[in-house]
Formats: sequence, C-alpha cells, structure tokens
Amino acid sequence: MVSLNAVLLISFLLFSIGIAGVLIRRNALIVLMCVELMLNAANLNFIAFARHSGSVSGQAFALLVMGFAAAEVAVGLALVVALYRKRDTVQVDDINLLKG
Amino acid sequence: MEHFIETIGRNMFAIFGVMALVGALLMIGSRSAIHSVLGFLFAMLNIAGCFLALEAEFLGVAQILVYAGGIVVLFLFVVMLVEMSKKKEGEVFQLQSRYAVVAVAGGAALFLAVFRKAIFGAPSPEALVLRPELAKGLDVAHQNAQAVSRGLFADYLLPFEILSVILLVALVGAVVLAKTERV
Repeated sequence: MVSLNAVLLISFLLFSIGIAGVLIRRNALIVLMCVELMLNAANLNFIAFARHSGSVSGQAFALLVMGFAAAEVAVGLALVVALYRKRDTVQVDDINLLKG
Repeated sequence: MEHFIETIGRNMFAIFGVMALVGALLMIGSRSAIHSVLGFLFAMLNIAGCFLALEAEFLGVAQILVYAGGIVVLFLFVVMLVEMSKKKEGEVFQLQSRYAVVAVAGGAALFLAVFRKAIFGAPSPEALVLRPELAKGLDVAHQNAQAVSRGLFADYLLPFEILSVILLVALVGAVVLAKTERV
C-alpha cells in the first residue's frame, strides 16, 4: 500500500528539480525536457489523487495530459530546430533579441 | 531472502520514486546533452514504474510507449541534429544558477512548510469506482484499461476530442515551423 504522502513528496521533489532545471540550464533542449518532467510530476499527482479518492477521472486526465505533452514536445522541438537554422545556437541566453 | 523480497515488493513505489529523482538530477546535472537525454529516459521509465505501483497499469504502459518510445527518440534525433555538428558549448549552466537554486530551494521549503499537513497527514487509499451505469459488467478494480476507457469516453469525451484537434494543430504547426524557407 502506497501512502498518498509518499507520492505527493516524490512528485513535489520532481517538480522542484524541473523548475531548477528550467532556471539553470542554458541548452534549450534540456529546458524542454525539464518542462516534460514537471508535466510528469503533475501526472503523478493526478494518479495519486485518483487512487485515493476512488475516482477514475484522475487517470483519464493524466492520459489527456500525456497527449498535451506530446503536442508540446513536437512544437517545442520544431521551434528549437528553426532557431538553430536561423541563429546557429540552442543556448537560451544567446537568444536575446528582445532584451532592451 | 523471502523477507527481503517481500520488503522490496512493499516499497516498490519508494524505490521507483527515488530512482526517478536520481534520473532527474542526472538530467539537469550532466554536461553532455546525450547524457541528459539518457537521464530523462531513466526518469520517465521509473515514473512509469511509479504508475504501475499506484495500480494505474494502463497509464504505466502508455507512459513507456509515449515517452521512451516517442519523445525520448525525438529528443535524441534533435540533439544529434543540433549538438554534434558545430562547436562545443562553453558553459553549461546559466550565470544566475546559484540564485536560481537558492530561490527554488527556498520556494520548496516554503511550500513544504505551508502544505506539510497535506503531505505528512495520513489519508487511506480507496478502490477505484465508476458510476454504476458505466461500471455495468466490469470488474473496475482489476480491469484498469477498461475502467479508464469508460471514464474517458463517457464523462470526458469533449476534452478528448479537443485534444485530438490540438494534436492536429501541433502537427501542422511543427511542420510549418521546421520546414526550410526554400521549398
């Protein structure tokens, strides 16, 4: 039997690692992977709550979130490739056209 | 020996969860982008294990198919397309890394302080149930995929259809963004 608390703690730590990765990495690909990690932490919470409230909705929504994550990765990677073609870099702090 | 195996079986979720955390730390910590992708793969597989330990069998298998089978391969392709060809990246981490880590750690501590009751309280798990008219002729506790599909296609049909439109838009958008200027 898994307690809800263990799941919440793990998913909270995963989410924190994801945020830290988004903030500290320079490579846009790794930033995208960190966003995926945060979505997965949210999924873990959905499933834990589905299990502990006895409702199937959480699992259904986790499946929908998985689909959104796939769409997001497709668009994000296309953006990275387009950026690489145009600016020859995938480092997020080299992309500062809008910086004043 | 049997006792040992039994202990492992009871703590499956914790084992998978800790390994997922290790994979995530490898992902944000390693210098090479390929190693990051491998750490990501490790984390995703272990999260699938967590789903299995939470008795969401269908989602665990879907996680392996979608992430390990699709998304990680896509990331690997783009990493090889983008990283390998040109000069090596100099510094891996951003200038503000130190402040970012401190800020995240502070935020995490605040979050834990505020929600410690929710995280360290002790609620008990309940078996999955469906509306009676949906659950007709189905053993909800043991037929996870069927239970999820009945919930999805009865109560959440509209979000599901919207998701399919979003996937189509993302597909077209990705093609438009990634194609070269001269056709």
